[in-house]
Amino acid sequence: MAQLTAAPLSALVDEPVHIRATGLTPSQLVCLRASLSDEKGNLFYSQAYYKASDTGEVDLEMDPSLGGDFVGVHPMGLFWSLKPETPLKRLMKRDVMNSPFQIQLKLCDPDVPITNRDSSTLTASLTLERWYVAPGVTRIEVKEGRLRGALFLPPGDNHFPGVIDLFGSGGGLIEFRAGLLASRGFATLALAYWGYDDLPRQLREVDIEYFEEAVNFLLRHPKVLGPGVGILSICKGAEIGLSMAINLKQISATVLINGPNFVISNPHVYRGEVSQPTPYSIELISSNALGFVAFHRVYEQTGDVDSQYFFPIEKAQGHFLFIVGEEDKNINSKCYAQQAIEQLRRNGKENWTLLSYPGAGHLIEPPYSPLCYASRIPYVHPNILWGGDVIPHAAAQEHSWKEIQKFLREHLISTRTSQL
Amino acid sequence: MFQLTATPSSALADEPVAIRATGLPPSKVVTLQASLKDEKGNLFQSRAFYRANKAGEIDLEQDPALGGDYVGVHSMGLFWSMKPTVAFQRLLKRDVMNSPFCITLDLYDSVCFKDSATVPPRVSQMVQRWFSGPGVQRKQIREGRVRGALFLPPGEGPFPGIIDLFGNIGGLVEFRASLLASSGFAVLALAYFAYEDLPEKLLEVDLEYFEEAASFLLSHPKIQRPGIGVISVSKGAEIGLAMACYLKQVVATVCINGCNMVVEVPLRYRDLVVPPILPALEYSQVHMSGAVSLQRCFGELLNKSNHQSVLPVEKAEGKILFIVGENDECIHSRAFAERAMDQLRSHGRSTGRMLAYPGAGHLIEPPYAPLCFWSWQHKLACPVVWGGDPVAHASTQEHVWGEIQKFFRQHLVKTTNKL
Repeated sequence: MAQLTAAPLSALVDEPVHIRATGLTPSQLVCLRASLSDEKGNLFYSQAYYKASDTGEVDLEMDPSLGGDFVGVHPMGLFWSLKPETPLKRLMKRDVMNSPFQIQLKLCDPDVPITNRDSSTLTASLTLERWYVAPGVTRIEVKEGRLRGALFLPPGDNHFPGVIDLFGSGGGLIEFRAGLLASRGFATLALAYWGYDDLPRQLREVDIEYFEEAVNFLLRHPKVLGPGVGILSICKGAEIGLSMAINLKQISATVLINGPNFVISNPHVYRGEVSQPTPYSIELISSNALGFVAFHRVYEQTGDVDSQYFFPIEKAQGHFLFIVGEEDKNINSKCYAQQAIEQLRRNGKENWTLLSYPGAGHLIEPPYSPLCYASRIPYVHPNILWGGDVIPHAAAQEHSWKEIQKFLREHLISTRTSQL
Repeated sequence: MFQLTATPSSALADEPVAIRATGLPPSKVVTLQASLKDEKGNLFQSRAFYRANKAGEIDLEQDPALGGDYVGVHSMGLFWSMKPTVAFQRLLKRDVMNSPFCITLDLYDSVCFKDSATVPPRVSQMVQRWFSGPGVQRKQIREGRVRGALFLPPGEGPFPGIIDLFGNIGGLVEFRASLLASSGFAVLALAYFAYEDLPEKLLEVDLEYFEEAASFLLSHPKIQRPGIGVISVSKGAEIGLAMACYLKQVVATVCINGCNMVVEVPLRYRDLVVPPILPALEYSQVHMSGAVSLQRCFGELLNKSNHQSVLPVEKAEGKILFIVGENDECIHSRAFAERAMDQLRSHGRSTGRMLAYPGAGHLIEPPYAPLCFWSWQHKLACPVVWGGDPVAHASTQEHVWGEIQKFFRQHLVKTTNKL
């Protein structure tokens, strides 16, 4: 009698799951299939083919997948290789407090996914819950002054290190990473800056004073540790995070994932000083064989080479963790991180760490998130190529998430008096 | 005064077109876009960005594209880099006699990279791409069991005869046969399943059917005797190879990305039944697009020593040309062709030749055909990855077409009557 087990059945999304099948015939070929329906009803699927052992078992922690969405021993492969049924959809949890993602795991005959012959005699299946918040995490809607966002607090009466979480892409308020980070002990402010509530519908300029308000808000909060805060940021968010770290003294630790070291598209403004956006050559975009568009060459003649555009990163007082996906096809991440680090070195500074991941793409997310290789951004482009090879990208997500937490703890929780 | 010229504006689909723009602002970066609607109304498009020189000119034969669907100097890039706006669609001309593909070339005086430009083009040109030349005749064939279409070049003949076989797409695919006929060959596009009263599904390969087709061709007054050629791709190439092995009338066979073994369904010829080897679907791999690569399913067959399914190429009396795309994601084309070549050598036969092309995918078609990287395949519930790197695949198609015609001229045309 074929059986499918997974433990734990309900967990945070960044926790691994141990999946096993038992009661098969020796050397039986089976297919394990995962499916998920997001909050808009978009379906995501993955599958892997396994050969049962002599005792009729498959253990994903030991046994290699022969084919399907990944090959080899990858206990969490069914999660990070999920793909949208409708091309270019990105998997992103919107409501992080009230419901998990439900993933259905099914054991079936090997040819069912490819040929759709529903003559499967195997029927074992189960449903997993994947949560973005741990029990006891609270979410507070933030609508103070100009600030718009959501503050996630870990459970308990302690003080927690404060982090501002910034995304890029299409604006709005993205909460899933902040919810997770709070579940790991950080008071995290998911901060929107355009395309949300009464914030500007389009990003005109990056007003660093808005972000300064957010820093002060966080530090004022009774549960936030201080005296400094951290930033966790990606893409456009990382461009802003870098600008914040340079201008605002209270930034002690900044995580920059695949961001530029110069101004992109919108001028940065701080107390009357304006940094203009870097000129670019849009004609340098290119489509791959599937028609997905890579943008990473458009700064080839400016931001890639000319230091007149670079942020004065040497003026920042806190620490930096650069996270780079070397297969990023959206921006030339590796180049920009190297430029920024070179500039720090030349100024005698050692306040940085670089994690550069071969094979990882632009959208480096928490562990086990499906690789989003390409997707749409409304009003920008219908099919933007983010890049990444699925297996190294998954490994980068696992490794970097741990490093991010270590880094933030190290620089935000001080056992000695602050060195700011 | 913006001007755009494309010469010739009406030509066969395998002929190059010279595209030039003049009257542009000096050094301006502009967009050239090509659009085509196939016979079902599906839209295919490509675009590339060029910088005008100081005289305000662009010449695609000399100037590099800076970005877009291809980069660098590729005078026919706008044609072979066209992509469907809806994923997984394949461009395939069905009516090859009465209408061409009409491609609209648009020039925009700025960089337009979104799917629908917000400004109108400054100038446009229409280019017609025909799949049959003037004077080529098409005859619907329903002789005995044989179903297909015979394309005859203009003139008295006799012409070297070729049978054209496609793969699991089924039905009748005519565009390659009609193009070859436009170069002086008499070509029978032969259907073998899912067409007229032929079997709906391919449950076996009955080689006697193909023998009937060969005999029919050789009995035609406009076709040279005593031997014919075969041009075949994918599953068709497996059948083409079987024809070369067992049918004496087949003297020159081109096998594009086929297996040297009988795969999936048995091969029957008179008393002989060759059992098939079955692909191991558990080795399929899902590509980033969600389409499935089957290459490793067939690749596993190479590890098994199933001699009974291997085609006896040493029995072929005619010449065989194996065309291999090294980035074929459907089958491990190179490995199968090499196995066949080894088999020929071990029997002291020098009848085979292999041309392997790095970067080329499974669907190697006539020149300038857009790379079909993936598409729906009716047998499977998901689309299939064919593979190929666009630039390499395009140059492969150009080179292969020349080699195919040279091969047929060398081995089909009698020495006294060279074309």
